[in-house]
Amino acid sequence: MRRTSVKTKSLRGFYIDYSFLLVIFFLLGFGLLMVYSASAYEGFNKFNSQTFFLKKQAIAMVMGLVAMAVVYFIPYRLWDRLHMLMPIVAGIFLILIKTPLAKSANGATRWVVIPGVGMQVQVAEVVKLCMILFYATYITKMGNTLNTFKGFLVYITPGAVISLALWILTNNLSSAFIVISIIMIMYFVASKDYKYTFATLAILGLITALLVAVISKSDAGGNFRFSRVRAWLDPVSYASDFGHQPLQSLYAIGSGGIWGKGLGESMQKLNGLPESQNDMIFSILCEELGLFGAFCLMSLFAILIWRMVIIANNTKDLYGAMLVVGVMAHVAVQVILNIAVVTNTIPNTGVSLPFISYGGSSVLFLLIEMGLVLNVASKIDVGDEAQ
Amino acid sequence: MTDGYKKFTIKMQKKLVVLVIFVLLAFVGLAVRLVFIVKGNATEYEKQILSQQRYDSDVLPAKRGDIVDAKGTILATSEKVYTLFIDSAMLNEKEDYMEPTMAALSTVFPEVNIGEVRQYIANHQNSKHYVLLKQLPFDRKQAFTDLASEDKNIKGVFFDDEYIRKYPENSVASDVIGFTTSDGSGLYGLEEYYNDDLNGTNGREYGYVNDDSAFERTTIAASDGYTIHSTIDFTIQSIVEKYLYQFNEEHKDSFREGNGAENVACIIQNINNGEILAMGSYPNFDLNDPKDETRLIGANLITSEKNANGYDILTVTSTAINESVLGGMTDEEKLLNLNNLWKNFCITNTYEPGSTAKPFTVAAALEAGVISPGMTYECNGYMEIGGYKIRCHNRWGDGVLDLQGAIARSCNVVLMKVGQALGTEEFARYQGIFNFGLKTNVDLAGEARTANLIYSAADMGPTDLATNTFGQNFNVTMIQMITGFSALINGGYYYEPHMVDKITNANGATIENIEPRVLKQIISESTSDYIRQYCRAVVMPEGGDARTGKTARPAGYAIGGKTGTAETIDPETNKRSDTDYVVSFMGYAPADDPQIAIYVVVDRPNAMHQDDAKFATGIVKNILTEVLPYLNIYMTEELSESEIEELQAKGLSSTYGLAQNAYDDSVSGGDEGNIVEKTPDVTEAVWKGFAIDPATGYRVDPETGEMYDAETGVAVTGESAHATEEVPVNENIIETESEQSEN
Repeated sequence: MRRTSVKTKSLRGFYIDYSFLLVIFFLLGFGLLMVYSASAYEGFNKFNSQTFFLKKQAIAMVMGLVAMAVVYFIPYRLWDRLHMLMPIVAGIFLILIKTPLAKSANGATRWVVIPGVGMQVQVAEVVKLCMILFYATYITKMGNTLNTFKGFLVYITPGAVISLALWILTNNLSSAFIVISIIMIMYFVASKDYKYTFATLAILGLITALLVAVISKSDAGGNFRFSRVRAWLDPVSYASDFGHQPLQSLYAIGSGGIWGKGLGESMQKLNGLPESQNDMIFSILCEELGLFGAFCLMSLFAILIWRMVIIANNTKDLYGAMLVVGVMAHVAVQVILNIAVVTNTIPNTGVSLPFISYGGSSVLFLLIEMGLVLNVASKIDVGDEAQ
Repeated sequence: MTDGYKKFTIKMQKKLVVLVIFVLLAFVGLAVRLVFIVKGNATEYEKQILSQQRYDSDVLPAKRGDIVDAKGTILATSEKVYTLFIDSAMLNEKEDYMEPTMAALSTVFPEVNIGEVRQYIANHQNSKHYVLLKQLPFDRKQAFTDLASEDKNIKGVFFDDEYIRKYPENSVASDVIGFTTSDGSGLYGLEEYYNDDLNGTNGREYGYVNDDSAFERTTIAASDGYTIHSTIDFTIQSIVEKYLYQFNEEHKDSFREGNGAENVACIIQNINNGEILAMGSYPNFDLNDPKDETRLIGANLITSEKNANGYDILTVTSTAINESVLGGMTDEEKLLNLNNLWKNFCITNTYEPGSTAKPFTVAAALEAGVISPGMTYECNGYMEIGGYKIRCHNRWGDGVLDLQGAIARSCNVVLMKVGQALGTEEFARYQGIFNFGLKTNVDLAGEARTANLIYSAADMGPTDLATNTFGQNFNVTMIQMITGFSALINGGYYYEPHMVDKITNANGATIENIEPRVLKQIISESTSDYIRQYCRAVVMPEGGDARTGKTARPAGYAIGGKTGTAETIDPETNKRSDTDYVVSFMGYAPADDPQIAIYVVVDRPNAMHQDDAKFATGIVKNILTEVLPYLNIYMTEELSESEIEELQAKGLSSTYGLAQNAYDDSVSGGDEGNIVEKTPDVTEAVWKGFAIDPATGYRVDPETGEMYDAETGVAVTGESAHATEEVPVNENIIETESEQSEN
């Protein structure tokens, strides 16, 4: 072990990527502010407290920060050794959905109450974290076999099974899609060439195009996902039901203009836009802070992602790098999907905006993932980097 | 660090950069998409959002004002009640909400079928406004909100408030008060007449967009309605209604099936300022449940038919409504009959007043100077006018009578002679002075105008004049009669009758004082003195044994008045009916210091022989026996043993002598005019020879079968101009009676 540079990691392994951490805190603060702005009206109406949602979100964030600190101090190699536990944990949570521990809200069963603690956890968030941890190890184990077709199938099967289970058991297609996307992005980075990734993308694209074509010709009614697709293609015609949310979201974004109406001045959060503090928080942000605010936030995410790329590329260790890639994929996919939904670029589906949307599980697990990344970053041998 | 572990190769690093470029490209793509959404759409979307805002959210209901009586007793008030509704969308948000909320609902509202509620919530996940219970009183709503404040998981149950109208005294003064429709506007009576004062202004809570396109909310508080202070005295009103009801109980089903009379009504008025102290009629209805059909039982069925011109013609049939008739009625027919029930007989129904008009005729003649108080007339039982033989009720004639005697005995012949002296021109002019045919402008909804039921001088022939002098062939309303009569008695001052003397706002501050209004002086003080004297003789002993109103006198008091028995017109033949009568008594009390006027009308009493003023005088006597002591008016007449017993039976005691001095002067003043003894009562002996019929208690003339009162000799069938069947009937009355029932 050489200690030649002052810039070396801190003496006893306490190196912290401060710019990464700063962006996280910035996003958390931004998120808290927007949750307060978007939820005060609904909180007052339903729970007689303007800070009802703000308080719950702040508590989740504090818990998340504590969890992040804990994970930061755990050497990430430990997770490598525990990798076989990950699909089991994911499986257990998926099975719990069908037990009395499950918890419903807004007509969907997607939460599980952890006995004793009484905390509600969104199963999809658990699955995402477990899959990132599992696949980082899986990639290192598979090595070069990844690059064969058979290897690709072997690679994709466990993730596909878990995603399918997630979709069927929690009726949550978007989360399943996010999980499979994370796995595919990790594969893309770890594999030697582009062919399987692009082939998969091409097949998915073809299927999507076919589905859209079929659905747009089909009659009204039937599957709610079909209706959502039709509403996506023509939101005005479905303004009273499935087109309502996308259309109201567009109104919010459009009416915000370049500089926005000012923080707290959104009108759409006053009943116009459902889930305004949740999946649709980005449109409220656009309405209040305009394109300027939206671009600022997107820049923050870009910086966050860029920092993770730097960390991954500076980690010589494949396992650590794949962990970071997985986390990065998670953040990137959700940001893109969320913004794509609120701008009606893709059909309406429930994807939360990382760090910003209201939701305790989401912020808790994201911060745990950030703790992982920070731990990986802290293990970078800056000496090597200097060479 | 990397020893023993696989490396993150350069190749992978490159691919990661490629990936990030894709990600950043996606970001850029989305950013462009955002720009396109904003560009060109900003204004349109801004408008769209503004148009979506709800500008009027909530109406804050104003409380309709109370109606109170002269002593402050609440006759009508508005109570805040609550509507409970369930927001199932909110209940479904969390599973924890369902059980505690259902448990709280079933604890506080055991009448709720929780199973149905659960079913509804399960089937209507997003329903926001499921109305479960209505008209909950405050304490029950409070019980629930108390529970809800203890348990955070009780959710999705909300209350809307509204006011409902309550009438604490139910049917008392139902005609006068009227009721309100469910949307809070008054129907009939004071509720309708003072609707604008009673109704407050609803408040409003609303949002609007201000100059900066920001959404703001504003609340305009509701201003509650005014309280109406009626001149009605609840105690007097209750006494009146008690005896109207008692009359009905005594006479119902006695001759034919049905109520004691088609209508029996009474007004008591303050003679010196026009305030109405009581006004009621029977049948009445429950103000809290005006559509209660059982109240129709006993009344004559009214049917409706379209005539050739397409108008609805209403007919009062002779069928009395009973339960089986009621069962066969359609909703429309029920409403038709209820409408009739809700009408205020005292101001809406018109009828021929009969002999109660005689004091007016005499007053007009005295005032016009065509007769003098000392004049006497001879009655030989009938008079021939215009080829018709118009008879007095006393077919042997009353002999020579002065004016007092004529009024006391209700002699038609004398009145016809007085009318001839007056002439059609003057008679018609005085009808106008007495306000007959015109609205009195009493502050109640639905007063009838009878101008076309009164003869003008131009179309009044000698026969018309003759019948008009004793109150036949023209129509009036009760309120016209009693208001005119009060003026005859009080020195000639015609006060506008009124029901309300003060309007206050919700804080009790006076908004308006309604002072008594003298509209005109209709006769001179001296004429009024004579009319008082003559009317006193109708009841008091100076009128002789044949006086018609002695049964109206309450024990211990001296009162004056005039009886009336009017023929009605048979709707089928348009001729005078010889079976159906409107009997009445119009009086004032005390006789020597008039304070109140009372007018009781019994419209077609349920009896074989309807033409007996005793139907009305009995009610007057009963009412005054209780009302006069209540008004702290002392007795002036000595009481017999039986009268004292009678009083004691009613829980009253004699006040005779307590204020003797106060009335000494006026009592002797009344005696001055007592000249009846000078005139021989030539006819008295005839009827005394008739045997008393044990079945009816009347003396019966063996030749004609006509009946006479055993003591007074007043012909039971014929105080009115009985044999005038062939006399032409005022055509307007016939026409209007059918028109009138269209209402």
